[in-house]
Amino acid sequence: MAHLRRFFSKLLGLFSDNHVEGELKREIASHLVLLEDDFKLKGMSEDEARIAAKRAYGGVEQAKQLHRDERSILWLEQTVQNLRYAVRRLRRSPGFTITVVLILAAGIGTTTAMFSLIDGILLRPLPFSQPDQLVLLGDHLGKGLDLGVTAREIGEYSDATGAFSSLGGYAPRTYELSGGATPEVVHAARLTAGVFPTLGVQPILGRIFTQQEEDAHQPVAVISYSLWTNRYHRDPRIAGSIIELDRKVYSIVGVMPRSFEFPLFAGNLGQAQLWVPVSLTPEELSDEATGSWGYHMVARLRDGISLSQAAQDTDRVARQIMRNFPAGISAIQIRGDVMPLREQTVASVQPLLRALFFAVSVVLLIACVNVAVLLLVRAIQRRREYAVRLALGARFSAIFGESLVEGLLLSISGAMLGILFAAIAIRTALHLLPQSLPRIDSVSMNATVALFALLLALATGIFCSLAPAFAAAQTSLLDSLKEGTSTGSQAKSHAWLRSALVTSEITIALVLLTASGAFLRSYQKMLAVDPGFRSDHVLVAGYQLPSNQYPTNGSIEIFNRAVIERLRNEPGVNDAAITTALPASGGSAASGYTVEGEPVSKWKLKFANFAIIYGDYFRAMGIPLIEGRYFTPDDGPDSPPVVIVNQSMAKHCWPGQNAIGKRFHAGNPRRPYPWATVVGVVADTKPDSLDQPSADQWYVPTEQPATLNGSVDGGTRTLPASGYLTLRSVQPPEQMIHLLRSAVGSIDPLLALSEVQTMDEAISKVEAPRRFNTFFITAFTVGALVLAITGIYAVVAFSVTLRTQEIAIRMALGAQRLHIARLVLFSGAKLALFGCTFGVVGSLMLSRLIRSFLFEVSPLDPAIYTVSVLIMIAIALLASALPANRAASTRPTEALRLI
Amino acid sequence: MSSGDTEPIQLLQGTLDLIILRTLATMGPRHAYQIATRLQQISDRLLNLNQGTLYPALVRLEQHRWIKGTWAQTENNREAKFYAITKSGQKALNEETRRWRRMAGLVERLLGEEPS
Repeated sequence: MAHLRRFFSKLLGLFSDNHVEGELKREIASHLVLLEDDFKLKGMSEDEARIAAKRAYGGVEQAKQLHRDERSILWLEQTVQNLRYAVRRLRRSPGFTITVVLILAAGIGTTTAMFSLIDGILLRPLPFSQPDQLVLLGDHLGKGLDLGVTAREIGEYSDATGAFSSLGGYAPRTYELSGGATPEVVHAARLTAGVFPTLGVQPILGRIFTQQEEDAHQPVAVISYSLWTNRYHRDPRIAGSIIELDRKVYSIVGVMPRSFEFPLFAGNLGQAQLWVPVSLTPEELSDEATGSWGYHMVARLRDGISLSQAAQDTDRVARQIMRNFPAGISAIQIRGDVMPLREQTVASVQPLLRALFFAVSVVLLIACVNVAVLLLVRAIQRRREYAVRLALGARFSAIFGESLVEGLLLSISGAMLGILFAAIAIRTALHLLPQSLPRIDSVSMNATVALFALLLALATGIFCSLAPAFAAAQTSLLDSLKEGTSTGSQAKSHAWLRSALVTSEITIALVLLTASGAFLRSYQKMLAVDPGFRSDHVLVAGYQLPSNQYPTNGSIEIFNRAVIERLRNEPGVNDAAITTALPASGGSAASGYTVEGEPVSKWKLKFANFAIIYGDYFRAMGIPLIEGRYFTPDDGPDSPPVVIVNQSMAKHCWPGQNAIGKRFHAGNPRRPYPWATVVGVVADTKPDSLDQPSADQWYVPTEQPATLNGSVDGGTRTLPASGYLTLRSVQPPEQMIHLLRSAVGSIDPLLALSEVQTMDEAISKVEAPRRFNTFFITAFTVGALVLAITGIYAVVAFSVTLRTQEIAIRMALGAQRLHIARLVLFSGAKLALFGCTFGVVGSLMLSRLIRSFLFEVSPLDPAIYTVSVLIMIAIALLASALPANRAASTRPTEALRLI
Repeated sequence: MSSGDTEPIQLLQGTLDLIILRTLATMGPRHAYQIATRLQQISDRLLNLNQGTLYPALVRLEQHRWIKGTWAQTENNREAKFYAITKSGQKALNEETRRWRRMAGLVERLLGEEPS
C-alpha cells in the first residue's frame, strides 16, 4: 500500500518537478542558515560560519542529486528525457518528420481500415447465442449446389436425426407490405417454430410464435428492429397491431433485437424484415412438389457431437428419405450433410479479404522499410555524434533507448493520423464496397480496431528503430573519429543493409505490380465481354402480385395484358415486356429437362436456366435472334407448346444439327409434361455476371404455363405472379421511371415496385465486386510504387552524398560528366534488377493466391510480367535521375576543398 | 575504550528512517537541522554523516506519507520546514520498532552463542 502510494507520488513528481525542486532549494538554504546561526553563536565570524556550515552540510549539488534520485522513477525519468530530446531533434528536421509520419500514417491507416473490414465480417461472432454450435443442414444434389431441403424433408430431418438439440426449417421469400404508408416489397422468411429457439435469440418486445400457431396456420408475424423503427417509429405497443402482407391480415406478436438477422444474406440486400410461421400448405407437401429443394434448415449441435458425427447422422437420415422418394424423383441421388453456419456466411468472401489483407500488409511492410531506410540514413549521418558519446562513456543501451523512443514517437504519431485516415476511409469505403459483402453493417471503427492500430504502431516503431540502432552498434569508435569529415568509406559498411532494404521494397512493389496488372487485364476483359443483349435505354422494375388479389391465372393474365398494353402506348416506349429473370443479374431459375429421343435409361439430371416471358422481351432487351422466330400472339394456351433456346443449349442438346423443330420437355423422363418445340435460337446472355461462363437457357411464353407445370386444373395459379417489367425507350431510361410508376399505379395502385433501375445500373451492381477488387489492388500498387520511388531515391541520393569526394576525384582525373551520371543511374538500375528478379520469383510463387480472382487472364501471363519489370526499371531510373544529375554537376574544386 | 568504538559506523539500510521517525515521535515536529543535530547527539558523534544525506530519507518518508513537512518560523525567526509524524507514520514506526527489536534480539542471541 505504502509502496503504491510512493509510486503515485513519484509519478506525480514527473509532472510537478519544478515545484519540488524549488522547495528543495529553499529547504537547503534554510538548513544552511540555521547551521550558520549556530556556528555564529559559537563565536565564529560571518564568513567563517558560512564556510563551516557548508562543510558540515556536505556537497549541496550531491545532496540535490541524491534527493532527485530518491524521489523519482529513474527509467521513466530517462524516457521522458529521451522523449524531450526526440521531440527537439524531430522538430529540427520537419521535412524528414513529416515524410516519415505521412508514410507511416498511410501504411497504418490502410491496414487499420482493412482490419476493421475483416474484424466486422470475419472475426465478430454471429448475432446468435453460442454460434459455433449452429450448422446448416441439408442435401447435396450433384455438385456445386447449396445445402437445400424439400418441404417434406423439414419434418423428416427434424424427426429422425439425433445429433441436434434443436432444429428448424425456413424459406426466404418476399411480401408486399401494405397498410399505412406506401406499399413496399419486403424480404421476409417463413420459419418453423423451431428456428428462433435453435438460434437462441429472444425478442426485445412481445414474443415469438409457437408450434401451435404454426400448425394452425395462424397469421402472425415477428418484425425486425429496422422495420419497427422505420415504419412504426418504435411504437412500444406494437404487439397485437395489424400488418398486411400480400393483402392478407397478420398480427404482429414481437420485435427482434437490432443485431438479429436471419437468414444471413449477403449484404444489405435481401435482409429479412419479418418472420412468419412456415405453415406448409398441402400443395407444398404434395408428391408433385417433392422435387423442389427451395427450403433450408438450421440446427444446433448437441453438446459433445462433432461436425463429422452430425454429418454422418444427417446422411443416414438422407438415405432413409431417399428410399421413400415418390416415383417422380426416384432417380435423384441426394447426400445429407451439415456445414457450420459461420462458414456458409463468410466462405464466399474469405479469399477476397485474405488477398486484400495481404496487399495491405505488403504496403505496410514497404512503408516500414522506407521509414527504416530514412532512419538509417539519419543514423549514419549521426555516426560521429554516436562515436563521441560512446567515447565519453555513454552506454550503448542509452543510444538504443534514444533510437527506440524516436522510432516509437514517429510510429505512434503516424498511428494517430492513420486511425484518422482509416476512420475517413471506412466511411467512404462503405459506399464503394460491393453490397454483396456479408454483414457489412457490422463494419466500423471500434476499440478492437484502434487497439490493433496501436499494436501495429508499436511493432512498426520497434522494427523501424532496429536498423539505426544496428548501425550505431556497429560504429567503431576509433574509425569514426579518425574519419574526420569524410564519412565516405566508412558508411559503405552499411551499404549492403540499405541496398537490401530497398531491394526488398522493389521486390514487394513488383509483386503488387504484376498482381494489379492481372486484375486490370481481367477487368478490361470483362468490360469487353459481349453480354448478348443491349443494356442501353432499358428500364427494369421488379414486382410481385399478392395471391389474395390475384388468386387465379385469369387475374394474373389480366394484369399482364393491361400493364403491357398501357406501357406500349406510352410515348417514347419502343418495347415493353415481362420476364421472370433478367440477364447478367443472377437469380435465374433452373430446371431439369429431357430431350426427345434421349434413352430413358441413360438420362442424367442436367439443368438449364429458364425465363418465362411476356410481350416483346427479346426486342426490349435487345437479344438478337440467330435462327427461327420470336414468340407471337398466336403462341397461346391452346396452340402447341413452343420454346426458344439460346445458342449454348442448341449446341449442347443437338450438336451439329439444326435445333429448330426439335422437342424437349421439362423435368425427368417420367414427368408427364408436354413436349415443347424449339421455334427460335437466340444469342447467349450471361445469366449471373459478365465474367461467368454462359449457361444453357430457354424461354417459355407466359401464355403456355403447361410447359413448366404440366396440365393442371384451371383453378390453380400456374402463371408467374412475380417478375420484372422491362421497357426499351427512346429517351434515357432514367426519364421513364415516373411514367412506369404511374402506368403501373393506374392498374393496381397498391402494387409495390422494387429495384426500379436502368439495366446498366443492374449490370454495374453485378460488376461491383470485380471493380472493387481492381480498384483496391491498383490503389495499393500505386501506393507501393510511390513508396518504392521514395525508397530508391533516398538510398541513391544518400550514396551520392557519401561519394561526393570519390566523384570529385574521378572528375579531377578526367571522368566525363555523362560517365558519372551513368554510374549513378546504373546503381539505381542495379537495385531494380535485383528487386525485379526476386519480385518475379515471388509473384510466381504467389500466383495461386490470385488465380481465382482473374477472368480470362493467366496469373503467369508473360506480357504482364514484362511490362511490370519495365515499369519498375523505368521508375528506378527516374528515382535515380535527380541524384545522378546532382552527381554530374559536382564541381571537383569545391568538393575536394572540403576534405 | 578500544579504538574500534570511536570509529564512525555505516548506517544499516532502513536504520535512518527508523531514527527519524522515532525522533519525530518522541520530540514532536522538528526541522531537518534539528533532526541532524539530534542524530549526532544520540550517536555520540559516532554517526559520521553529512547533513545533506538526511534529505533522501526525508523525501522517502514523505512519499510514504509517514511524515509531513510544513514551513514555519524558528525561535530565531528563521524560516524552516518542520516535519511531523503522521498517523500512518506512527503505525509504521511501531511496526518497524517491533521488527527491529526481534532482529536485534536474534543477532544478540547469535553473537552470545559464539565462543569468545
